[in-house]
Amino acid sequence: MASIAALRGPGWEAARHRAFLFGLAPSLAVLLAITLLPAAALLVASFTPLSLTDPVGTFRFDDPLVNYRHLLADERFLGSIGTQLKLSVASVVLQLLVGLGLALLLDGKSKVLGATRTVFLIPMVLPPIVVALIWKIMFTPDVSPIHRALEAVGLPVRSLIANPDTALWAIAFADTWQWFPFTMLMVLASLQMIPSDPIEAASLDGATRWQLFRYIVFPHIRPVLIVCGLFRLIDSFKAFPLIYVLTDGGPGTVTEVTNYYGFIQAFNFSYWGYASAIAVVILAGVFLLSWAVGKLGWNDHDRR
Amino acid sequence: MTGASPAIDGAIGVVREDEDLAPPRRRRPWLQAHGRALAAVLLLLVVMFPFLWLVQLAFKPAADIFEDGLLFTPTLEGFASLLQGNFLKSFWNSLAVSTLSTVLSLAIGVPAAYALTRWRFPGRDRIALWILVTRMAPPIAFTIPFFLAYRWLGLQDTLVGLAIVYLTFNLAIVIWLMQTFFEAVPPALEEAAYIDGCGVWQAFWRITLPLAAPGLAATAVLCFIFSWNDFFYALILTRTNAITAPVAIVNFLQYEGWEWTKIAASGTLVMLPVVIFTVLVRTYLVRGLTAGGVKD
Repeated sequence: MASIAALRGPGWEAARHRAFLFGLAPSLAVLLAITLLPAAALLVASFTPLSLTDPVGTFRFDDPLVNYRHLLADERFLGSIGTQLKLSVASVVLQLLVGLGLALLLDGKSKVLGATRTVFLIPMVLPPIVVALIWKIMFTPDVSPIHRALEAVGLPVRSLIANPDTALWAIAFADTWQWFPFTMLMVLASLQMIPSDPIEAASLDGATRWQLFRYIVFPHIRPVLIVCGLFRLIDSFKAFPLIYVLTDGGPGTVTEVTNYYGFIQAFNFSYWGYASAIAVVILAGVFLLSWAVGKLGWNDHDRR
Repeated sequence: MTGASPAIDGAIGVVREDEDLAPPRRRRPWLQAHGRALAAVLLLLVVMFPFLWLVQLAFKPAADIFEDGLLFTPTLEGFASLLQGNFLKSFWNSLAVSTLSTVLSLAIGVPAAYALTRWRFPGRDRIALWILVTRMAPPIAFTIPFFLAYRWLGLQDTLVGLAIVYLTFNLAIVIWLMQTFFEAVPPALEEAAYIDGCGVWQAFWRITLPLAAPGLAATAVLCFIFSWNDFFYALILTRTNAITAPVAIVNFLQYEGWEWTKIAASGTLVMLPVVIFTVLVRTYLVRGLTAGGVKD
């Protein structure tokens, strides 16, 4: 670089940095306008009683914490957090187990396995609304092949999504179907990075397959599993299309997660101030989890 | 950055060398040799069954919809009925808004990705991380402010408004992903161009960008898919004019819930571009889907 500076004159480095800044500035400006600004607006709105029927409430800050006080007393909100936790934990654990199992099964060099790996990705890339549609069909007794098969053998079953005891599990199941490929993919990538020497040495020493997995393979993929779990946990707070199409939060409120409750408050009841407070709570949860991901040293771009 | 990608690419299709650890035996029984592949294919059929059911439903005559048999004469009735309503318009809207958002995010994000790759300034890592975190934020946090602002700005129910909202996730994808592709281009090539009198952006345009073209194409595809797949923003920020295909499907479900052939046909059409793209660019796609997830 020194030679270039010599050739292009003393102002070259400064000109280069100016050019880079020129390239970076639009993105930063746009991101500021479409992410930080709305986040700030959300926070401000959460301190006001803004709603469709009270549009002048926009700038009333006489009781800024009113929404948050209501939240603490709102049984439906507190219940939605419990539902959210149940759904998130159930579907993330299932995804990790299924994804890990499939990755171990598919980690081989045959052509068939390679092709299978690609097809298994499909649920993850499908439009979420199509995934919801697929499971709507599976859970609707009229058209579901499963329901009809059960009926044919004399075991008619009530639709899982209409039954309050099973609705949440049905959603967790569909969510797992959609997202197990993510864990599968990450674990497969990690499996390919295991050095072969320790495995060879251990199998020469007579280690069983279980011992190989327990003491060599699993410790190697554990960090990936943890990060997968955290990523999926963060994403699970956004669960929407499945709930919207399959149960609409019902029966009753058994599948109404926090995100969905916020949606209802904002766009069915038009209590925008109150819904903003709910969104702030979700946002805080997401940031806390993201911070945990950062703490694990994952996205340190330059650390190798 | 590049350290992780071969492994990820390898996860999908590329062969690993050190697989068979056991010494090669002569004439293993067929089941033992192929048992794993057999199990994989059987599992695949079970797991993909609901997906295949949707597709076959789209070709089923409406009269047979409540029949169990898989033996029916395939028909395009379902697809034909889509031509009559507003579905075509929503499909077109989806195409337009996804394309617009892709072009916008590439135009704004690519130079930024390049600057972040080549310019190591203090605070750079923090900015890169912030950009990634914006992708993690729950959409509900953005929709309420955007909804209120769009009512006021008159952007509600417009394609442009929706395309702008999609920047909230697409811009992060472009900036994050393109950095990995720019890093693969040796800086020496640009330095040669500088010596020949090129400016920074001239060298970028003539040397770096053409070399990163495959990565650019893959990034564009990913942006398109993410916009195409969106449901939440479109549901809230559109009403009639700018309604996208996923929202149209939900409208079918709500107002014409008995016409399963038609609904299945619309679902099949909406997922078609995504499945085609997946097959076309699967290795790059994998990199984008796991962006930020695999340690670099």
